[in-house]
Amino acid sequence: MDEQTQRLMTCFRTVFGDLSDADLLNASMSTVAGWDSVASITLVNVIEEEFQMQFDYDAIPDLTSFDAVAKYMQANNGAHA
Amino acid sequence: MKLTEALRIRQGAAGVPNSFKVALACGFTPLHLETFLAAHLQQALPGRRVEVATGLYGDLAGTLERFAEIEADAFAVALEWPDLDPRLGYRNLGGWGPSEEIDMVKHAQATLARMRAAIERAPASVPMAISLPTLPLPPAFHTPGWQASAAALDIQQSLACFAAETARRPIHRVLNAQYLTGRSAPGGALDLKTEILTGFPYTLAHADAVGEALARLIQPPPVKKGLITDLDDTLWNGLVGEEGPDGVNWDLSNHGGLHGLYQQLLGGLAAQGTLLAIASKNDPAVVDRALSRTDLLVRRDSVFPVEVGWHAKSESVGRILKTWNIAADSIVFVDDSPMELAEVKAAWPEIECRLFPKKDYDAAHALFQELRDLFGKSSVGAEDALRLASIRRAAELAQDAVVSGATPDEFLAQAGSVMLVEFNPPPEDTRVLELVNKTNQFNLNGQRHTESEWRRELETPGAFVMAVSYEDKFGPLGKIAVLKGVARNGDVDINAWVMSCRAFSRRIEHRCMEILFERFGAEQLRFAFAATPKNSPTAEMLERFLGARPQGEVSLSRARFAECVPALYHKVEYRNG
Repeated sequence: MDEQTQRLMTCFRTVFGDLSDADLLNASMSTVAGWDSVASITLVNVIEEEFQMQFDYDAIPDLTSFDAVAKYMQANNGAHA
Repeated sequence: MKLTEALRIRQGAAGVPNSFKVALACGFTPLHLETFLAAHLQQALPGRRVEVATGLYGDLAGTLERFAEIEADAFAVALEWPDLDPRLGYRNLGGWGPSEEIDMVKHAQATLARMRAAIERAPASVPMAISLPTLPLPPAFHTPGWQASAAALDIQQSLACFAAETARRPIHRVLNAQYLTGRSAPGGALDLKTEILTGFPYTLAHADAVGEALARLIQPPPVKKGLITDLDDTLWNGLVGEEGPDGVNWDLSNHGGLHGLYQQLLGGLAAQGTLLAIASKNDPAVVDRALSRTDLLVRRDSVFPVEVGWHAKSESVGRILKTWNIAADSIVFVDDSPMELAEVKAAWPEIECRLFPKKDYDAAHALFQELRDLFGKSSVGAEDALRLASIRRAAELAQDAVVSGATPDEFLAQAGSVMLVEFNPPPEDTRVLELVNKTNQFNLNGQRHTESEWRRELETPGAFVMAVSYEDKFGPLGKIAVLKGVARNGDVDINAWVMSCRAFSRRIEHRCMEILFERFGAEQLRFAFAATPKNSPTAEMLERFLGARPQGEVSLSRARFAECVPALYHKVEYRNG
């Protein structure tokens, strides 16, 4: 697992608590308790703080899983491989 | 604080059993303000799990009205312009411009009146922290940005009246806008993107600053009790030993203005109950003449003791602490010499040592602000005015006893002491809980209480509070002891007991126990004692009755008390039966 993924997992744990690696990599709004629209904004702000980047808020409704967030970051910032 | 850190602080407290409930009223999405407020409060209350409940979006006045029915340890209010009139925000398209201005003023005034009424109806004993609008007004008025509009000024005037009326009650604490400006510049406060897209108007940095300030209002840091100051180039400009008592100065014409301001600040602190003392390396006779000058801005009799000599400053500080009978961590020491500060700090590491920057005006300004923060209080009561006088009298009393050669019993018998006992004082008497929460040495268990906790505990059947004021022929000490307990079935359980260190050596604690035995017909008193780093005087007092050092909860029978109690000479009066 690369460093960027680990940092992203840390962001998820900061917002959603201590989930296992496997649970995190498969995390989505339907599998993680407490992942609602407010938590999505908090998650985005935590990632922005950690990676020093800005999200397009119009994209937030589509960021419904760990995988979707990782792909968004890869496409829009290049920070996450 | 970063958002990540705030979230981790909250996660870290998840397992703490005792909660501290805060009701937060804000008209916007609380989002990160809630997180930062909780995190900062969590840091101030490490033994509690801070929980923040929020009201409805866009209905701050309604949330305030519901405070009357909410069970909370504290209330927090984050007011912004749209709460006064939705047209003063960015998420409402009700119209801007001249035709709206008069109506906006009227609506804002009506809303403020509604909020005032709601605040007045909130539980009187629960602290409320209130942040007035922190964001810039939108471009809703007809004037250009550099010119204030009359309508905007009308709204700000109404808001200022609302704040002034609210702040009259010390339990309602209004955030000082200057404090916030120093931590979050107005230009960096608004995040229009998140306001429009999510309903949260603050940048993260601003949310952190507002959350920190509200938390500080709810749970203020401990107030320092005493300030020890140097004289030469600190209290005054110049060396009194060289220039003479009339040669030192503190006026603008002699470039001593900073010293004059410092004296003025100390005078203000003394008037609100801060203890002042002097530690100076000088000739005592010369200093005495200088301190007798009538143009000093801090009154000579508001400084006690005055330790002047050629010994180490740390020795002077030690004697002052002994006279004051307060802990070193409640003290600030100010001197213009880094070496003296280091010497005192080495001997008394708990003391806050501050350099007096005699030529650095910016640093002096920062020092004055810091001293005001360290000693500032929400309210000033009658006991604050008595504090120094009673310490001075206690020292004189001890000296009298030595000089006269009287035994303690002879001395106390002639003291003419009167204890005024009040059972279940009204909740508005803030001195009761203040004494409980700031007393360290004579404190049964060191437990601190929030207002709402205290109130809830008093709802227990049989619960009582006993507050004791004291005076003798040497003068009044004010309210100096508080006991809280539960009386049932012939037993009394005492779960809080504090007594001011100014009241030691007068056998007041013994009389308090006697009063409890008599009033409740108790056969035994049970004490919820717990040792703390500072409450050895309490342990020693109990040890004298029990014959062994208490390790936890202990009981004292009526018979054992009668066997051990020394002669008591106080006259006891009751205020409310």
